[in-house]
Amino acid sequence: MAARVGIVLVSHSASLAEGTAELAGQVGGGTVTIATAGGTDDGRLGTSIDKVAAAIRLADGGAGVVILPDLGSSVLTVRTLLADDRDDLPGPLEVADAPFVEGAVAAVVTAAAGGSLQAVLDAAQEARNARKL
Amino acid sequence: MPESSEATITLVGDLHARPAGALAVAAGQFTSTVQVSVSGGGSGGGQADAKSVLAVMQLGASSGQQVTVRAVGPDADKAVETLVGILAGVSKAGD
Repeated sequence: MAARVGIVLVSHSASLAEGTAELAGQVGGGTVTIATAGGTDDGRLGTSIDKVAAAIRLADGGAGVVILPDLGSSVLTVRTLLADDRDDLPGPLEVADAPFVEGAVAAVVTAAAGGSLQAVLDAAQEARNARKL
Repeated sequence: MPESSEATITLVGDLHARPAGALAVAAGQFTSTVQVSVSGGGSGGGQADAKSVLAVMQLGASSGQQVTVRAVGPDADKAVETLVGILAGVSKAGD
């Protein structure tokens, strides 16, 4: 089986990141690596650049990683990390401008189907057009 | 002229998140474009790109409704056969 695109979920809340990963993993059939970076290093609500870096390394399977931040400073943390252009991170990496839950589900399903990095990113970002009612 | 294929099945359970995911993952493996459409009874209706899990979920397809799978492309027959197989496996229990 060809390498799948990996997914990183970045949230202020560890339980939100883990719950979203659980849901997206179930819908996607469990063949995609979903890593989470939720909360601060000391377990409070917030984000941690080190947790994001560790999650990216965990999610990488050789086909690239799509990162989904939840709100506000999650986005800033991810952008700060990527702007550093660190050589200890795998690539290529993309940040999705997407609703967190819908984007995660759509990204994981597309990655499970063997979609390219661009296809997974597009699926996440198109999730903002999905209606619930 | 590209190959096209179509089949219809009556659902015995609701098309919840997990079966919708299974359908979209399977559809995404094919080169063909694949559409699913829903008609008859219950709520929901309309059609969706089978490769989009959110669109498939939004159909709200439920037990007793007819779902038609249409594919156009080089692997259309196999795509329809595979997706109808997944829809046939949607159980009453649901999830």
